[in-house]
Amino acid sequence: MAPLIALVDCNNFYVSCERVFRPDLWDKPVAVLSNNDGCIVSRSQEVKDLGIKTGTPVYQVRHLVNKHHIQLFSSNYALYADMSARVMSLLEEFAPAVEVYSIDEAFLDLTGVCRDPVAYGQQIRATVQRCTGIPVCLGLGPTKTLVKLANYAAKKWPQTGGVLDLSDPVRRERLMRIVPAGEVWGIGPRIAARLNRLGITTVWNLASQPVERMQAQFNVTVARTVLELNGIPCLELEEMAPDKQQIVCSRSFSRRLTEYRELSEALAEFASRAAEKLRSQQSVAGHLSVFIRTNPFNPQEPQYQRSAGVKLKAATQDTRVLVGETHRLLKEIFRTGYRYQKCGVQLSQIQPASMQEQLDLFDLSMTIRQSDSQALMQAMDRINRRFPKGIAVASTGFDKAWQSKVERLSSRYTTDWRELVGVK
Amino acid sequence: MPLPLFTGKVAAGFPSPADDYIEKTLDLNELLVRKPAATFFARAEGESMLEAGIHPNDILIVDRSLEPVPGKIVICALNGALTVKRLLRRNGCWVLAAENSAYADIDLHEDLELVIWGVVTAVIHLL
Repeated sequence: MAPLIALVDCNNFYVSCERVFRPDLWDKPVAVLSNNDGCIVSRSQEVKDLGIKTGTPVYQVRHLVNKHHIQLFSSNYALYADMSARVMSLLEEFAPAVEVYSIDEAFLDLTGVCRDPVAYGQQIRATVQRCTGIPVCLGLGPTKTLVKLANYAAKKWPQTGGVLDLSDPVRRERLMRIVPAGEVWGIGPRIAARLNRLGITTVWNLASQPVERMQAQFNVTVARTVLELNGIPCLELEEMAPDKQQIVCSRSFSRRLTEYRELSEALAEFASRAAEKLRSQQSVAGHLSVFIRTNPFNPQEPQYQRSAGVKLKAATQDTRVLVGETHRLLKEIFRTGYRYQKCGVQLSQIQPASMQEQLDLFDLSMTIRQSDSQALMQAMDRINRRFPKGIAVASTGFDKAWQSKVERLSSRYTTDWRELVGVK
Repeated sequence: MPLPLFTGKVAAGFPSPADDYIEKTLDLNELLVRKPAATFFARAEGESMLEAGIHPNDILIVDRSLEPVPGKIVICALNGALTVKRLLRRNGCWVLAAENSAYADIDLHEDLELVIWGVVTAVIHLL
């Protein structure tokens, strides 16, 4: 049976999430900003049509924002994560295997599932749109690289009706001849430039290259890409996202921090969040490191950056232990007289919590304390799931002056009882 | 909160043979939410649906996967705002009917663009 894969990709995902609850914005230009409200990371079609590129700092397009009344939102991750989970759970009804590739896209294995792939794709699209309000496009084909290409085309050309199947080699060739090689999944700008210098400018040029030559001149990834463009699968569907081997929580601040206390609060908060992520994948970490730095792009200010790490005595998932170690490390590296712009916490040597060994055979108190710790952390996570930001260790501070800017945050319509959408 | 369901009679004060009888816990989600991925909650704000039992501040359970057929109470986007009304078909025309005599029904003619947002399946009214 010929393999059939689909890529479902949400259109302008963050913007679409905001719009579900704001009918007044359905036909207005809308953009969502990055952490700290700095750059534009998601754009409605109206904003794209104004020529604003993704990643643009807001201050650079302030005149367009004012002139066209572009509605700006801070990133509302609670909302986006919930909407993403809804989309993914709907997709699971349509395919026996789903690989959640990112917050807004998933690969589906549809091999042998449907007779008419385009009609099935339209059905998926209509279901997601109706049940969540999120518009999606689908690319279909025998390999991941081809369905990425199909999805790109389905988004770019509305005539496709949002669903495009590239199983047919004739249709494939027609599309490949008009799409630049740099649009292919896995071909970064640097490789694209090198390909262009060799006269390989379109996807069709790339797909027509001898595989051995590509492997010799570039690398095995480019060679595989050529095979995939010819309908020969080289990349498997990874159904289960592997557990993260490293967890990093870091942030730039809305203003510079100068006090030890401010940095220690921020780091305590990041360590708490990292510990929460660790527990959500049922893991423990054996190593912790922290870093602090000034703004490297401001040459007028004295520069300082330093990191420090520690191998934990016992691998842990306990917020209190991690926060305590974070503070010890900060004391080592903190220097007064600098204006700090960013800091962060990194957990590594991550392993399943079930593999946690008992440290000292004769120290029973250790084992007892460990189960106490697990129970306490579980309780804490449960409270915080019900009442977001409900409880935290006190050293994360109360005024949170260091927090990043989220001045245009919308409601958490789906995760907080106090912030439901109102209907007249 | 899940509540334990007991089968059989349990004498009060007797030292807990009842534990053996716990069959499962009742979960309101099971009763009220048919399709979690498509279910949203909304807060009622006006009094236009009082006679349908929807009071200001009540929480509406909205299932977006359901077909908005005539007779259903729906949430729809009207002039840029979300509103809750009963969807009716009268003399071949669509009507958004209020359930409060003080409020007028809204007749939907062709130049009025209406998008149904979801179908209301239940209302939670705190006493």
